[in-house]
Amino acid sequence: MDICIIGVGNILMQDEGIGPKVAEILRKNYTFEPNIEIIDGGTLGLDLLPYIEKYKKIIIIDVVDFGKEPGFIKILRGEEIPPYLKTKLSVHHVGVQDLLEVARLMGYMPEELVLAGIQPESIDLGLDLSPTMVGKLNELIEEILKILNNWGIKCVLQSLQE
Amino acid sequence: MARLVIDPVTRIEGHLRCEAVVADGKVKDAYSSCTMWRGIEVIMKGRDPREAWVFVQRLCGVCTTVHAIASIRAVEDALKIKVPRNADLIRNLIMANQCVQDHVIHFYHLHALDWVDVVSALKADPAKTSELAKTISPWPNNSTTYFKAVQDKLKAFVERGQLGIFSNGYWGHPAYKLPPEANLMAVAHYLEALDWQKEVIKMMAMLGAKNPHPQTFLVGGMAIPIDPESQNAINAGTIAALNKYADMAIEFVEKVYIPDLLAVASFYKDWAKYGGNVNFLACGEYPEANGKMWLPAGIIKNKNLKEIYPVDHKKIQEYITRSYYKYSKGENAGLHPWDGETTPNYTGPKPPYEYLNVDGKYSWGKAPRYEDLPMEVGPLARVLVAYASGHKEVKEAVDMVMKKLGVGPEALFSTLGRTAARGIIALVTAYKTKDFINELAANIKKGDYTIANTEKWDPKTWPAEAKGMGWHDAPRGALSHYIVIKNKKIENYQMVVPSTWNLSPRDHKGVRGPVEEALVNTPVADSKQPLELLRTIHSFDPCMACGMHIVEVKEE
Repeated sequence: MDICIIGVGNILMQDEGIGPKVAEILRKNYTFEPNIEIIDGGTLGLDLLPYIEKYKKIIIIDVVDFGKEPGFIKILRGEEIPPYLKTKLSVHHVGVQDLLEVARLMGYMPEELVLAGIQPESIDLGLDLSPTMVGKLNELIEEILKILNNWGIKCVLQSLQE
Repeated sequence: MARLVIDPVTRIEGHLRCEAVVADGKVKDAYSSCTMWRGIEVIMKGRDPREAWVFVQRLCGVCTTVHAIASIRAVEDALKIKVPRNADLIRNLIMANQCVQDHVIHFYHLHALDWVDVVSALKADPAKTSELAKTISPWPNNSTTYFKAVQDKLKAFVERGQLGIFSNGYWGHPAYKLPPEANLMAVAHYLEALDWQKEVIKMMAMLGAKNPHPQTFLVGGMAIPIDPESQNAINAGTIAALNKYADMAIEFVEKVYIPDLLAVASFYKDWAKYGGNVNFLACGEYPEANGKMWLPAGIIKNKNLKEIYPVDHKKIQEYITRSYYKYSKGENAGLHPWDGETTPNYTGPKPPYEYLNVDGKYSWGKAPRYEDLPMEVGPLARVLVAYASGHKEVKEAVDMVMKKLGVGPEALFSTLGRTAARGIIALVTAYKTKDFINELAANIKKGDYTIANTEKWDPKTWPAEAKGMGWHDAPRGALSHYIVIKNKKIENYQMVVPSTWNLSPRDHKGVRGPVEEALVNTPVADSKQPLELLRTIHSFDPCMACGMHIVEVKEE
């Protein structure tokens, strides 16, 4: 297993929680062949360092301030990522930015690092995603599945019986 | 007179912001303003009290476990549940592991760069660095080749033009006093600590069943089985692994952190004159088998170490006179958290703004007071209360540090004292971890596998109404959660976090909060580079400013 998906964000702050929520949907509703690791990274910074070190290909899912309309999705790769982190909206942005810079310093950077970012609508306190985010969930998940496909991972949707 | 503004994240209104009024090279007055978790009760109200911890542990991005612990303790207090000893031991191990890791990270990764000039390390002679390292510690990574390799790594990093985590530093500032060799040694240990921290925390991952967010907390105990015969439970293999991580913690704190702390502190003894406070609150931590706390609870007033007062949470009140809220009982009322109200009332300038309106309300943080006094919480409060109470391990560690630095107990009331106290707590806690493991192993040997008290798990056993509070002396200081349960559901949920105490704004009497007070009289050599202010602010380890150096400074 050399691929890892990390959903970061704070589930208590509405759209901030989309990273962990997408991670949960992927874990519950899909199987991956070969298997991949899916992590609810929460708002943690340095505690995620072992994962950055361990995996060769990593997708981080997070809200990002692109200065675009809510729900705008953009996939950033490698060197494209750091400038966006500097304008991140969320309360945990220091964590992710530090995490990646520390990983760079320590020489832990994965071969491929992808940030699947989405422009949030609301990051006020609350457990539910805004309607715009809910409407964009499938598109964001499709983007992530596409990346996984390109990495040679077969993603199979499980029957949704719970 | 200059007004300095230190605002880590100017694009986001709030977080931690400090404004300092500087004249004649000194801070005359200071204001700290921060965000807090407004309206957590909105999310918690109506929920099952037994699942509160799952939500509140997401409040903080730095310490996952601390809110979970305080939350289950609040519910256990409300429902009068006595937790089995094994559960307390496992909680102690999780808390101790987190505390030691947190304090090391704080020292090397959040605070050291206020004292250590990274760029100066490039000028160091690796051979002399090796000599220096050998004189202060038997730590094996101390050869010339080793320090040369670290220096080359640093050089490559700096030459890429991206200072990354080292950007925004005031490199070359006149307040940096370490010789290049000491700087290089500290940078080497900065890197080693990064590797160490991700290994040592695996103790928590083992006991929490999942990293990063632990899953094994449970109202009434822990949800992790003890069974020497099972692969999937705490068994002899677990005990051996716990011992391995505990030894790893002791070794690093003893041979790297403490020697570095003493070496760095010896160049900054003048910082024993700045950054002090007079009132302290420690809530006590690590329950022992006899029901007492290993680190004692207590209140210190006006620096008087001869009299330690017991802590009674009913004496806590929160004021909003200078905070962006209103109370139904008026501007100058103080409310106990059980009766807490969180009604926003923003009266500040419209963002983006240049300065806070410091004559009126200026913070989203409330002002908690104990018997109407501001209280510093955190490692220094823990150390002072334990020291004054005659706590054996703490006293020995404090005396050792003071002797090596050639200072007396009065030096503790300062920025230097606060930073030293964090190392002292890390040291004694690392040692104490072994006791907890041994006790757990002995219990298992005796056949005591009890891990949870489920007598009150069924809500039918609960009273119609109950109130509880849970303390946890978290790495950053005394944390308290308050719960009101009505008809089996959460009616009110409030918390007073360590940074709310330390970063508190002024209160109804206009008395400064601890960080504000600590900043007064701090020397400022260059108002465009207020490194000295950051030393004191960072010494409190404020949640909201983690990893942050400085982004913006403005001068009036």
